[in-house]
This record gives sequence, C-alpha cells and structure tokens, in this order.
Amino acid sequence: MRIGIVSPYSFDVPGGVQLHVRDLAEHFISKGHHVSVLAPADDDTPLPDYVVNAGRAVPVHYNGSVARLSFGPLTAARVGRWVEAGRFDVVHIHEPVAPSVSVLALWAVDGPIVATFHSSNLRSRAMQAAYPLLRPSLEKISARIAVSEDARRTVTTHLGGDAVVIPNGVFVERFASAKRRPDWAGTPARPTIAFLGRMEEPRKGMPVLSQALPHVLREIPGLRILIAGPGDPSSVREKMTKEAAAACEFLGPVSDQDKARLLASVDVYVAPNTGGESFGIILIEAMSARATVLASNLPAFARVLRGGEAGEMFHNEDPVDLARTILALLRDPIRREQLAVAGRERANAFDWSVVAEDVMAVYETVIFGTSSVRAPSGPDSRWARLLRTGRNSGGT
Amino acid sequence: MDRSWIVGGIAMAVLIAWYVSYGAARLDRLHARVEGALSVLDAQLVRRAEATLELANCGALDAASALLLAGAATDSIEADTADQTSREAIESDLTQALELALGEEALRRLREDEAVGAPVLQRVAAANQRVELARRFLNDAVTDVRRVRRKPGVRLLRLAGHAELPQTFEIDDELPMLVRGT
Repeated sequence: MRIGIVSPYSFDVPGGVQLHVRDLAEHFISKGHHVSVLAPADDDTPLPDYVVNAGRAVPVHYNGSVARLSFGPLTAARVGRWVEAGRFDVVHIHEPVAPSVSVLALWAVDGPIVATFHSSNLRSRAMQAAYPLLRPSLEKISARIAVSEDARRTVTTHLGGDAVVIPNGVFVERFASAKRRPDWAGTPARPTIAFLGRMEEPRKGMPVLSQALPHVLREIPGLRILIAGPGDPSSVREKMTKEAAAACEFLGPVSDQDKARLLASVDVYVAPNTGGESFGIILIEAMSARATVLASNLPAFARVLRGGEAGEMFHNEDPVDLARTILALLRDPIRREQLAVAGRERANAFDWSVVAEDVMAVYETVIFGTSSVRAPSGPDSRWARLLRTGRNSGGT
Repeated sequence: MDRSWIVGGIAMAVLIAWYVSYGAARLDRLHARVEGALSVLDAQLVRRAEATLELANCGALDAASALLLAGAATDSIEADTADQTSREAIESDLTQALELALGEEALRRLREDEAVGAPVLQRVAAANQRVELARRFLNDAVTDVRRVRRKPGVRLLRLAGHAELPQTFEIDDELPMLVRGT
C-alpha cells in the first residue's frame, strides 16, 4: 500500500504527535508498505529518509504550548508537489485543524483521507472563526480517528459526527529491553525519582513538583531528582527552595535510549502534568520500561493507568498530596514492584503491533474499491487554484 | 452613476455564479463520499456474512448454534440492498446471532482449535471490525451531506438537484467479546 502521512509539527523537536507519526511510519515500512511522511523541519535537521521536508517551521503559541508550525504559499506549493508525486492510496493527516502543513494537505488532496485528532483542547474560538473556511475541507475526510476518548469528545463537540478511538502505540520491547544505569538507580539512602519533559511549560507540572519537594526532602534528605528534557535549568531552580534545587540533577534533552534507561533505573517516575494531555504516551513508555509510575489524576492518565491499578495517582495540582504519595511509594518497595509488574502487563495493550493493525483496518476500509489519491483536477481545482492565488496576492 | 450600477451588478452576478458553482461542487463531492462509503459498507457486510457462514460450517460449534448462524448469514446475503430498513433489521439480527453463538465456552473451544476454529474466528472478528468502521464512516458522511443540504442557500437554489437525501445506517454491530485488548 502507498501511504502518505502528514505531521503538522516540526521534526526539529520531539513531541507526542511527531513520535506517533514516526513510529506509525516505521511500523508500516517494516511491514513492507511504501510510506512517505511530510513534515516541517529546518534545512539542517537530519531527517529519516522517508520524511519529506515541507519547509522551515516557526515557533508559534498554539494550543497552550509553543508549537513549531509551517505555513505560507511556499509551503502550500511543496505540499501540492508532495501529493502529486506520491500517488498515494491513502493520505493520513494528523491534527487536520492545526494551522500548518495539515490544513494545507487537506486542501490539496483529493481522494481517501484519514485524519487523526490528537488534541483534547481544540481552541474552539479560533475554530468557530475559521469555520466557513475549514468546513468544506474537513468534509473531505473519509475516516476520523481520535487517539483518546477525550480527543473523540472534542471532535464530536466541535465538528459533529463521530471518530473511531485508536490509542497511541509504543514499541514496548524497545523500553522493556533498556538496561538500568547504576548512577541513575536509587539506593535506600539515596532514592531517585525522574521527571521528563519540557520543564518550563507549566502544564507539564514542574511547579507542582517544585512545591512538593521540600516536604519530601524533609523526610528523605538523600532524595535525588533526575530531570530530563529541554529547557533552562536556572529558571526552574530559582523557583525552588535551596535544598530542592540542590537535590535536582538536570540531564538536559536525552536520547530515546537514555530515556528508556532512565525510566528503567529510577525508583519512581513522576508525571505531575496539570492538563492538556489527551493521552499520556509517556506513561506507557514508563510502564514498558517497568518503571513505577506516579501521575496526576487527569482523566486521560486515569484511563491509561486503569484507575490506579497500573500506577499510583495523586490529586492534580496538589503538591501536598504529591509529596505524600512520593513518600509512601519510596518507603514501600513491595508496592513499587507490584505497580511495575502491573504496568508492564498493561503496556502490552498499547504496543504498536496491536495499535497499527487497527489503523490499517481503517485504511483498508477507506480505500476499499477506490482509486488512489490525486491532486484535484477539473473544474473544482480551477476554483481552488483561483482562490489560492487570490489569497496569496491579497496577503502580500 | 450608471456605470457603478453595472459594475455592481456584474460583481453580484459573478459572486452568485461562484457560490452556485462552488456549492454544487462541494455537494457533489459529499454525495460521492456517501456513495463510496455505502458501497464499502455493502461489501463489508457481505464479507461478514461469508465469514459467519464459514464459522457456522467449521465444525467447532454445536449444531444448533451453527444453524442459527447459517440462517442469519444467509438472510444477510440474500437481503434486498435497496430496502434499507429491512436490511438494518437483518444485519442487527446477524450481530445478535453472533453474540448468542459466541458464548464463553464456544469462544474458548474455537480459540483452542488452532487449525480451523481460531483463524475462522479471527476472520469474523476482522470482518465485524470493518463493518463497524465502514458504518461509522458512512454515517459521518451522511451527517455532513444532510448538514450542508439544510443550508438555506443550498435549498433555495436546489443545488442538490434530484439526489436523494441520504440516511444514516443504524444497526447493532458491537461484538465486545471479539475486541482485542479487553
């Protein structure tokens, strides 16, 4: 099968959607399909050979965090060329309403389109304002997938209709086979906990953890906090007490391999995210690596953790409760082991081998008996082209 | 004065022409999507019935269950595709027959029979999953068409022409015991 996948977010920085696109593409390639991924990226970013660069991305505040998006007439032209050259059986567009390559691809493609909605907080104001423009192209989507129940609810509320829920996948084995690193592993006197993600983004929960740490350090002064991810450590340190700042070790952005080893090594992995998570793939990665997971009780997290069976939960945005749960877990190795085992078992349900098969079922249903994707032709496209040139000249 | 009226009139006419052409093209595309989705659903329903017949004849089920499944599957294959209401009832019956025939004990036996039972059961599960998907995609397309056709401009100008107003396809197609990961 010839599959075209579109990612709206730049491959320069890692993120949930990009990783989803990469893993899906690699799984289908390993199954012998032809896959081409279209995504924004800087010219000097090394890209896997199945990725086509859609143009430079600029950082934009979007959907509560900074996203690297790409748009404009040059990008639109590149998207059109990719569609024409690809001769795809199906085009799979991720986050079709993100103001980036996705929307452009939606305009440019004529034929079977599958769309995956990742976000659970569409900005409804912007959506409503741009509705008349977006609506007709959204109507071209043959099949809608949501990565979670929350994302699905967003789709039904804002767009009407329905979506099939197919969760994110994880290559469980990659994480399960990660080796512990002795310098990251905890000892009874010096236990370790880990935080992963963009530390300067409030919704990732660093402020909550910072406030919880003094309570924990009072009881367990030897605690080490290993923090991995992009961001400026000094800006995080200055919001902490002196003791807490001294207990933190900043590892900076880590490779996938080191991420897996970190998760496999520490006593507890903490995910204090305060909102905006529709899925929580990091929890599944942590469970795959046999980490003991402690997460805020966001609905999305609760579903992944089966309401606390596969990982401990604390009250969202409550540093005192977070401190209490960290302490309880650090003092109870048997409970930690129980959760780690239950988590490893739970992770299997999200392995790519299971998840990608469901996505393939959607592709097969959509392209059943149709001809392949092509760029629009005939009278319809003349209008579209006229519109496009009209808007471009109007914008400059 | 006169000229501005003429220019305005022409602009108006162009705008209306654009609206009509664009709206008609959009509706045309939507109707094509519904038709495509309907033929996909049709094919998947036939596949499901065929897989059910295979299951009925695989020998791993008791005679009564086999007969029940064979009856429901045959009804589905022989159904009049033009009569949507009766077809919906027939397909819901087939789902129900599968649900009744695939009790815990029957499922266990089928899964243990790796040579025949397990692959046949797998085919039924895959076919049913595709029916669920195809039906959902069809209903999404129908919802889109009906929403656009409700628009006053579209109704006033009769942009939909003589195309029939499509209906959603409502059947029970959930077989929770065949879903993976539960």
